[in-house]
Amino acid sequence: MTTAPVANSPAVDIAAQAPAIELVNVARWYGNVVAVNDITFSLGPGITGLLGPNGAGKTTLLHMLAGFLAPSAGTVRVLGLSPSRDPSVYRRIGLVPERESVYGFLTGFEYVRFNARLQGMRDADAASRVAIERVGLQDAADRAIGTYSKGMRQRAKVAGALVHDPQVLLLDEPFNGMDPRQRLAMMDLLGEMAAAGRTILFSSHILEEVERIGTEILVMVAGRLAASGDFRAIRALMTDRPHMITIRSSDDRRLATILIAHPAVFAVELQQNAVSVQTAHLSAFRRIIAEASLRAGVRLIEVSPADESLESVFDYLVHR
Amino acid sequence: MSLIETASLTKDYGPVKALAGLDLRVEPGVIGLVGANGAGKSTLLKILLGLLAPTSGSASVLGMDIGTEAGEIRKVVGYMPEHDCLPPDVGATEFVTHMARISGLPRTAARERTAEVLRHVGLYEERYRQIGGYSTGMKQRVKLAQALAHDPKLLLLDEPTNGLDPTGRDEMLDLIKRTGTDFGISVVVASHLLGEIEQVCTYLLAIDAGRLLQSAPISTFTQRTPVLAVEVEEGADRLAAALAGRGFQARQDGACVLLALEDESLYDAIRDSVAELSLPLVRIQQERRRLEDIFRDDAPSAGGVQ
Repeated sequence: MTTAPVANSPAVDIAAQAPAIELVNVARWYGNVVAVNDITFSLGPGITGLLGPNGAGKTTLLHMLAGFLAPSAGTVRVLGLSPSRDPSVYRRIGLVPERESVYGFLTGFEYVRFNARLQGMRDADAASRVAIERVGLQDAADRAIGTYSKGMRQRAKVAGALVHDPQVLLLDEPFNGMDPRQRLAMMDLLGEMAAAGRTILFSSHILEEVERIGTEILVMVAGRLAASGDFRAIRALMTDRPHMITIRSSDDRRLATILIAHPAVFAVELQQNAVSVQTAHLSAFRRIIAEASLRAGVRLIEVSPADESLESVFDYLVHR
Repeated sequence: MSLIETASLTKDYGPVKALAGLDLRVEPGVIGLVGANGAGKSTLLKILLGLLAPTSGSASVLGMDIGTEAGEIRKVVGYMPEHDCLPPDVGATEFVTHMARISGLPRTAARERTAEVLRHVGLYEERYRQIGGYSTGMKQRVKLAQALAHDPKLLLLDEPTNGLDPTGRDEMLDLIKRTGTDFGISVVVASHLLGEIEQVCTYLLAIDAGRLLQSAPISTFTQRTPVLAVEVEEGADRLAAALAGRGFQARQDGACVLLALEDESLYDAIRDSVAELSLPLVRIQQERRRLEDIFRDDAPSAGGVQ
């Protein structure tokens, strides 16, 4: 991890060198309640999922990044600047808050243009039209937001947050209330922005969706950072958790006897129409499985990793 | 007797058509109800509960007509609304007992039944505390408990996992599943999360723009496709070439090799090629169709290898 340069050189230079988001020993407490507890991490361009049980401190973290809250201790830097002290960085941050923070009496277009003007954009109208189109709201743009469905309000919020084409986009449960088609479209949109070099951090409870959007995650548990990085790499580091693989074959019992003899395998269980294998050395196992079944003369019909998904990784992190 | 039946059910809100001649017939089970926002899901639920009169058409629940027997229907239907609807200043016991009594249970029976359903949804010593201090997960449980209080034959659940974290979601889904299988109560779950529907439901109803889009058992949407995916840690290109050399249609896709499964000899060819090249094998899996394909505008692409 790199340390941020001292903030006396021009902001643009700093932004070019520093990670887009950087937290060093950050804590935030409300009275005696510790919401965020000594968190250090940095994020570069790309898309990262922010995960954790309710009350883990995700929203507090996003609010500190957006400049709504100053950290009680530690340093928060976004594009090299402190968001709670340097409002100039707002111009390059977009935030989609979790709460319904839109005015019902404005039309979708007016709301987005209002955001564009707050950001001091010269051609607010054109930018708003582009943003509305990006979230697919053009047909409803001239209706009052009060008449929108939840998914539409959510998209209006997203349009308002990206109207100034921010470098850093922070989203708190952006998919809430969206229907399946809207979810797919929003995933594509976030993916496009990440591919264009934006830094995107979004919180979500829907692990299947997070897994489809990307592999980078931050996991918070009770105010602490439980893990960060590629969830597959995080899984590989959990050496105390054996890897489970489910195999279907032409002769499960025979395959089981062959596999249990191998040092990489330490448990084999026969199930109905399948054999479940536990191994502490996943890569060693992966190298021998085809050859072992070839020697045994057993046909492999299905080989599937049973606990490598984001859901299992999350479960292991939270219930440790 | 079918669980729910509608015939040319139509509901207009001024110029907006929420339901446009909906015809459906559903048998008992755990049914997932999906549809775009504004497709008419909530309108349908309200009509089935007899809270909203249709503009035209007819509907029946458990053989009872919604127009003439709405009161009877509500006696056997439990409803869990999506929005926050709980009074903050009473305990769960008090609230659920109250709801049970409103449904016509005598005082003693209401108390006993409340104790039972609160235990079923997993609320124990918290039940005497005020609901205002509950977490989202606990509030969702109370909402489910009040829907079950009068021993209904059908449960209508509107976005039951809204706001829950992964653990809370799993517990709620498990609870819904158990309610459906252990008690034999039919459940209609309205949700946007197709993964969830896949997990708990046996039957899918999809509506779009007030019309029926799909109505079939879940398994028909998640069938296996004739495509076998083989994932290796490295050397997918070599594996694809080796399998092509053995005369199989193979296409590399990142770390995967996709193969057309026409003949069982393919399995042996994969095992032999992987062993020969000593590649680290991650998985061999037949690809499945996904529920979300019905919402993709482009035609489902699960079929072809080339």
